Amino acid sequence: MTEWKKKICMVGQFGVGKTSLVRRFVDSMFDERYLTTIGVKIDRKNVTVGSDSVTLMLWDLAGEDDLAQLKVSHLRGASGYILVVDGCRASSLGKAVELQTRIVDQLGPLPFVLALNKADLRDRWEVQSAAVAELGWPKFETSAKAGAGVEEMFLALAGKLLE
Amino acid sequence: MPDGAAKRSDDQPLAELRAILLGPDRVAWESMRQRLDNPSRRAEDVASVLAEAVRLRSRGTSDLKLRRALQPLLEEALQLSVRSNPRMLADALFPIFGKAIRKAIASELDGMLQSLTQTLEQSFSWRSLQWRWESLTTGKPYAEIVVLRSLLYRVEQVFLIHRSSGLLLQHVAAYSVPAAETRDPEMVSGMLTALQDFSRDSISGAGSEPLENFRLGEVEVVLAYGPQAILAGFVRGVPPRKLNRVFQNALDTIEQKKAEALQAFSGDTSPFDTCRPQLEACLLGRGQPDQRRSTSWGARALLFGLPALLLLALAGWWIYTAANERRWTDFAQRLEREPGILLTHTEKRGSKFYISGLRDPLAADPASLLPAGLPSNAAEFHFEQYISLVPRFAAERRLAELKDQVEKRSFRFMTASADVPPEQRFLLEDVGSQMISLIQAAAALGRTIQIQVRGNHDPVGTEQVNATLSRSRAENVRAALVTLGVPAARLAAIPEDLEKETCSAVVEEERMFCRSATFHVLEPRP
Repeated sequence: MTEWKKKICMVGQFGVGKTSLVRRFVDSMFDERYLTTIGVKIDRKNVTVGSDSVTLMLWDLAGEDDLAQLKVSHLRGASGYILVVDGCRASSLGKAVELQTRIVDQLGPLPFVLALNKADLRDRWEVQSAAVAELGWPKFETSAKAGAGVEEMFLALAGKLLE
Repeated sequence: MPDGAAKRSDDQPLAELRAILLGPDRVAWESMRQRLDNPSRRAEDVASVLAEAVRLRSRGTSDLKLRRALQPLLEEALQLSVRSNPRMLADALFPIFGKAIRKAIASELDGMLQSLTQTLEQSFSWRSLQWRWESLTTGKPYAEIVVLRSLLYRVEQVFLIHRSSGLLLQHVAAYSVPAAETRDPEMVSGMLTALQDFSRDSISGAGSEPLENFRLGEVEVVLAYGPQAILAGFVRGVPPRKLNRVFQNALDTIEQKKAEALQAFSGDTSPFDTCRPQLEACLLGRGQPDQRRSTSWGARALLFGLPALLLLALAGWWIYTAANERRWTDFAQRLEREPGILLTHTEKRGSKFYISGLRDPLAADPASLLPAGLPSNAAEFHFEQYISLVPRFAAERRLAELKDQVEKRSFRFMTASADVPPEQRFLLEDVGSQMISLIQAAAALGRTIQIQVRGNHDPVGTEQVNATLSRSRAENVRAALVTLGVPAARLAAIPEDLEKETCSAVVEEERMFCRSATFHVLEPRP
């Protein structure tokens, strides 16, 4: 059994639920105020992929909005990332596409997954499934509130990192 | 037909055929030939593709031919450049080296200053001798022994961190550190890296300078940087400046030994298990700061208690002196208010208080005025006498004068007679008015006096006759004075005490003085 450590970044528009996604499913040690002060909070998620154990160090990066820009320096050394989109906000998908382009420009292609969050509010979704499918990205519908899809998403990403 | 003409006629169709077949290309070939023949055109052509060609060639990492070919040229060019205009290269390199050199010098100076201070502090102590002995016996440099033994610090945890990802490669903690304190080193290492990024991004002017040591309360975070890794240490207490060098050396060794593993790191930390000895070597420190604190309690008590006691004693002494001084000042003021006393000088000399001035003999005795808290032997009085014009003293003096006058008066009697002789009767009025003045002066001072009229006799005659004569002489004079207005209650007639020999005159002229009536003023003590 090999033990792996991987740095993963959670990126997405401001308020899409990145922090909520990690809050219930990971080991936390730092206060969420770190996000607003230094722009990043680090948590850990242990998963097992086959016979390997993977420690995902999750860098929860402060969400990007009109005022705050994502600090690409935080992405250095990452093995993969999770693009988080709020199903109830169409603009968050546009932001995810934009971030994806920027990350590929800076770091080259890296394994990633798309977390289509707030699955518990599906009836209010603005994001069209077709638009997401068109992108051809690995997609997981998650609900930080109900807990659906989150473990699967982390597992899938860990699997991709070990490929 | 000559040969030449025949040949020309043969070539003609060939040339025509050539012109038909290759006509358009010939122009291009001609142009190419000209370009090849013309060196300046050739240079232009190569220049236009040179950059792209070099880029293409350098893309393949395994092909080193171009690099090898360029190396001597570049070296020579650099040498030439330095020789012809050294300033240009210096200017270009200054932003890189200048900063690094400044930092190195500052760090070196800082370290020197710290070590100088320490050396001065420790060079002549018993401890330093012990360390020198330890250095001699163990072969370790003296400076290292000083670092190890002198400062109160302890490296509690050491983190080896992958520089770009912030992932923890290896972690060691001192045995004495409780497990609860080594909180999730994985996350700590990530957060340390995030802090680096944060400080670099947010503090303008920091440029690419990495975060240096920083302190959080009792814990200092010591940081050393390599191209691929960071070595961080949590140090409780005050780490010596040289600790950074220890960390840097350990990291340099790791970077050297694990260069490939670091370069190819993709999340498997097992190759770094063998780095533990280097990390453990960084767990320096001397004892436990808290324990040392408790063991040196006595020394601390002495260090802080003694001055505190001295201060307390000093304060007590100061308060006592001030209070004493105050009592003397109050006493001097009290003396100044006293009638008939004038102070000209007061002074505290050593433990004695000197008071000098003028004093009316009728004024109160200064020593009797000393309050209870002031010992009389601590006071030294120097008073010159003077006459004060205070009304009370004037009245006293007048009373004393009148009393003196009255007591000097007397009446003489003939032998065996108790009658005031006619030639002395006019004196009665005078004495009477003096007595009235005396009684009034005493009343003015609130006193009641008694005047005794004493009847006397000479040694001649029987005791019985003499006793009668004495009583009669006193009573007669008293009665005459009462008649003249002297209050009877103030006058008492007293016969001479017969037991007592009052007159020893032998000659008649002298005996005359014995047959008299005299006055004595009785004054109750005020």
